Amino acid sequence: MHALIQRIWHGFVVVALVATATFVLVRLAPGDPFAAALENARLTPALREQWRAAYGLDGSIGTQFAHWIASLARGDLGFSTSTNQPVSRAIAAALPNTLLLIGTSIVIAFMLGIWLGAVQAAGRGGIVDRCIGAMTLIGNAVPDFWLALVMLLAGSYWLRLFPVGGVADLLLPLGASWPVLLLDRARHLVLPVLTMVILLVAPIARLQRTALLDRLGAEWVRTATAKGVARRTVFRRHAWRTALGPVVTMAGIALPSLFGGAVFIERVFAWPGMGRLAAEAVAARDYHLVVGCVLVGTVMVVIGSMLADHVSAWLDPRLTQDGFEPGRGLA
Amino acid sequence: MPNLRDLRFLSLCALAACGATPDGTPAAAVSATGGTLVISTPAEPDNLLPPITTSISGRQVEDLIFQRLADIGASLNTMGDAGFTPNLATRWQWSPDSLSIAFTLDSAARWHDGVPVRAADVRFSLALFTDPRVASPTALLLANVDSISARDSLTAVVWFKQRRPDQFFEIVHQLYVLPEHLLRTADRSRLAAAPIAMMPIGSGPFRVARWVPKQLLELVADTTAGRRRAQLDRVVFAVAPDPVTAFTRVVTGEADLFEAVRPDKVAEVTSHPQLHLVLTPTLEYSYLGFNLVDQKTGRPHPLFGDRMVRRALTMATDRRSIVMNVYDSLAVQARGPFTTAQSTADTAHVPLPFAPDSANALLDAAGWMRGADSLRRRNGMLLAFGMLVPSTSVARMRAAVLLQEQFRRVGADVRIEGVDMGGFVSRISARRFDTMVGAWNQDAGLADLRAAWSSAAATAGGNNAGAYRSPQFDAHVDSGVAAFAPTAMRAHFAAAWRIIADDAPAIWLAEPLRVMAVHSRFVTSGMRPDAWWAGVAKWSIPPDRRIARDAPAPARAAALAPAGASR
Repeated sequence: MHALIQRIWHGFVVVALVATATFVLVRLAPGDPFAAALENARLTPALREQWRAAYGLDGSIGTQFAHWIASLARGDLGFSTSTNQPVSRAIAAALPNTLLLIGTSIVIAFMLGIWLGAVQAAGRGGIVDRCIGAMTLIGNAVPDFWLALVMLLAGSYWLRLFPVGGVADLLLPLGASWPVLLLDRARHLVLPVLTMVILLVAPIARLQRTALLDRLGAEWVRTATAKGVARRTVFRRHAWRTALGPVVTMAGIALPSLFGGAVFIERVFAWPGMGRLAAEAVAARDYHLVVGCVLVGTVMVVIGSMLADHVSAWLDPRLTQDGFEPGRGLA
Repeated sequence: MPNLRDLRFLSLCALAACGATPDGTPAAAVSATGGTLVISTPAEPDNLLPPITTSISGRQVEDLIFQRLADIGASLNTMGDAGFTPNLATRWQWSPDSLSIAFTLDSAARWHDGVPVRAADVRFSLALFTDPRVASPTALLLANVDSISARDSLTAVVWFKQRRPDQFFEIVHQLYVLPEHLLRTADRSRLAAAPIAMMPIGSGPFRVARWVPKQLLELVADTTAGRRRAQLDRVVFAVAPDPVTAFTRVVTGEADLFEAVRPDKVAEVTSHPQLHLVLTPTLEYSYLGFNLVDQKTGRPHPLFGDRMVRRALTMATDRRSIVMNVYDSLAVQARGPFTTAQSTADTAHVPLPFAPDSANALLDAAGWMRGADSLRRRNGMLLAFGMLVPSTSVARMRAAVLLQEQFRRVGADVRIEGVDMGGFVSRISARRFDTMVGAWNQDAGLADLRAAWSSAAATAGGNNAGAYRSPQFDAHVDSGVAAFAPTAMRAHFAAAWRIIADDAPAIWLAEPLRVMAVHSRFVTSGMRPDAWWAGVAKWSIPPDRRIARDAPAPARAAALAPAGASR
C-alpha cells in the first residue's frame, strides 16, 4: 500500500511538472490564439490586443498561471479559443475516440505481436523466423504519417473497401438500426487501427522473440525439460509466461509514443481524437486546450505505467520479492 | 496538366456562371427541390456569429444561415445600388439628400425559431456590430453609418454620416441581420463563448441542424421559407484536416465538392467522369512585401528604405515564370494591390517589367557592387536579407524558393525563414521581418485596400506592416473612393496604381484562380469571385441524377432499416 501511495505521489509530481512546463513553453512559442488567425486585413493588431484582454491573455505568464491554477482548483480547465467551448467539453468529446482507437490497436497489436514473437522463437533461425523478422523490421522503419497515407490510398481510394475517414458515416439517418451503426463504426475503425497495429506490432514481436529466447536458455527451463516435462508445457508455462514481463512493461512505456503516433493517424483519417485535438490546438496556439490535452495525456501515461508495472509483477512474482518492487528495481 | 486555354475549362467556367448543367440543360428547367450537397473541407468555422467570425469557413456557413438586406451583384459593383438584388429587404428608397435609405423588410421573413424578423432586429444588429465590447473586425467598415431607426415594424431607416458612393454596399453587405430576442442578453465581451455562437438562429435559406466539432456541420433547408426555400434539402460540411483526405473524399464519391484543388491534382479530377472542374476568379493576390522601416532604430530600413533597391529587385523578378512554376495555368500575374475581378481594377496598368540588366544597373547606381563571390556589398555591408514565409502554404514556399534564386542572380543573398501561420502573423504584427511572402483575400469593397497599403494603416496597430507611406497614393485612393462618377473613380485608382507601382513597396506576384471539384449531378449558379457559395441556395439536382444520399431523410432511414422493421 505504501508503495502504491508513493507511486501515486510520484505520478502527481510528474503530471504537475509536465503541465507547468507545457503552460510556459506554449506561451514562449511565437504567436498567440489571436495571432494564429488567418491573414485578414480587417484583423488589426489593435483588435487582436483587445481580444487578448477579453480572454485574459494580456497579463504576464505568472499572472496567467495563477489564474489557471485557481481555475484548475475549481475543476475548470479553462476556455478553448479555437473550439469556442470549455476545454473539459472538448476533451470529453475527443477522449473516447482516442481510447477506442488506441485501446483496440493495443489489444490487437499485443496479441499479434506476442504470437508472432513466440512463433519466431519456436522456429529460431528458420524461414518463418526470418520472414517475420524482415516484416517487423519494415514495420519498425516506416514513418507513421507515410504509412497512414498509404493505407488511406490503398483501402479507401484504390480498393474502395473502407470509408475515407471519420468515426462514423455521419450522413446515416437517425433511425438507422444498431447493427447498421455497429457495422459502420467497425468499417471506419479498420484503417486507422490497422495502421497503428502495423506500427506497434513490430517492436512487440521483436521484444517477445528476444525475451523468449532468453528464457528458453534459462536453467529452470533446462531443468524442466530434463525432468521430462512436455516441450509445449515448458514453452508455455515456464518460458512464455515469464517472457511476457518485458512486453507488458513496454506497453506502459509505449503509451506516450502511441499518443504521438495518434496525432498523425488521427489527422490523416480525420479521426476526432485527442491527438488531432492537441495538434490543432498547438497550431491555433489555443493555450488552455494544449495544456488540457497534455494534462490528460500525462495522467493516462502515468496510470498506464503503473498498471503495466503491476501486471508485470503479477506475471513474474520475483519482481516483488527480495526487495524488488515494481518500478523501483532492487532495493 | 490542363491549360486554361483549353475550351473545356472555359466552357465549365461559363456553365458555372450562367447556371446550366454540364450537358447544357438550362437551370430554369429544373424546379424540384431535394438533394444533399456534401462539402469536403479541411477547415472548420471558428464560430457562427457574423460580428466576430474571422474564418472563410465561418463566413461560408453564415451566408447560408443569415440574411443581408440585399445582395451584391455578379459584377461586384459597390457604387450606388446598381446590380444589388433584394434579400431580406424587398425594396428600398433613398432620401432626396441620399443621407438615409428606408429598407422595407419581407413581411414573411421569420427567424428559424418562428419569430418574425422585424426592423428592430436590423437596428439591434448595427448596435451589436459597432459595440466596442464586441471588438468586431467589421465595425470599422460600418463607421459611416450613423444609426438605424425603425419607422414601423417592417421599415428600417439607415442614416449615414456622409453621402458616399459605396454607402449602400457598406450597409447591405457588411451587416448581417441578427435576432435581437436571442442575443440581447449575451455577454458582448465574450460573444464567442455564447452557446448561440455554435448553434445560431438565422433567417436564411438554411438552418443549423447539428454541429459535431471536428466532424461535420449539417445545415437543412428552412422549409418554412416559402419562396426563399433552398432547392437542396441539406448542405453538409464534412471536416477532414488533412487536404489529401479531404480531396480523397471527393474523388471516392463520399463528398460532392472540394474548393481548393491543387494544380497537381487537376488531372486527377478530370479523370473522374462524375466530377467536373469549376474555375472561378478570386479576390486574392499574393505578393512579396518589403519592410521599409528598421524596427530596431525606427529609421528607414538599410536595404528597403531605398526605393532604387526595391525597384531593382522588382525588375529582377520574373513573375511570369514564378506564376507558371507555382500555379501552372491556374493563376494570372498580379498587376498591383488589386484583383482583376474588382471594380477598381485597371487591366491596362503595366507594372515594372522583368529586366535583369536594368535591375543590375540600378543596384550598381545605388552603390551595391558585386564582389568576387558575385554577391553585392556597399560599404562592407552584404546585400542580404530574410524572406518570411508561412511554411504551411505550399504555393508561397515554392514562390519563395524561386524568388531566392532570381534575387541571387542579381547579387542578393536571401535566406528563407519558414514559420507556421501563428509565428508568421505574430512577426508581421511586430514588424520583425525584412521581406515577407504575403497574401490578401479581399472583400469586394475598398476597405481592405486601405487597411493594407494606406499611410494610416502604417502606424503601430495597423495592417500596413511594411509601413509604406505615400500621401499621393492616399489622396488618389481617397478621391477614388469618394468619386460618384465611374470614370473619375477609375481614373483616380489608375493613378494610385501607377504611384504604388513606381514606389515598389511590394512585388505583386499572382492572382490564383479558385479550382473546385464538383460532382456533375449539381446544377450550380451564382458563383461570385468573393463567395462561390453565394448561390448555393439556388443549386439543384435534377431528379433523375440523384443518388442515395439525396433521398429525403425518411426514405434513407427506411432503406437502412432491417427487414420487417416497418411492421
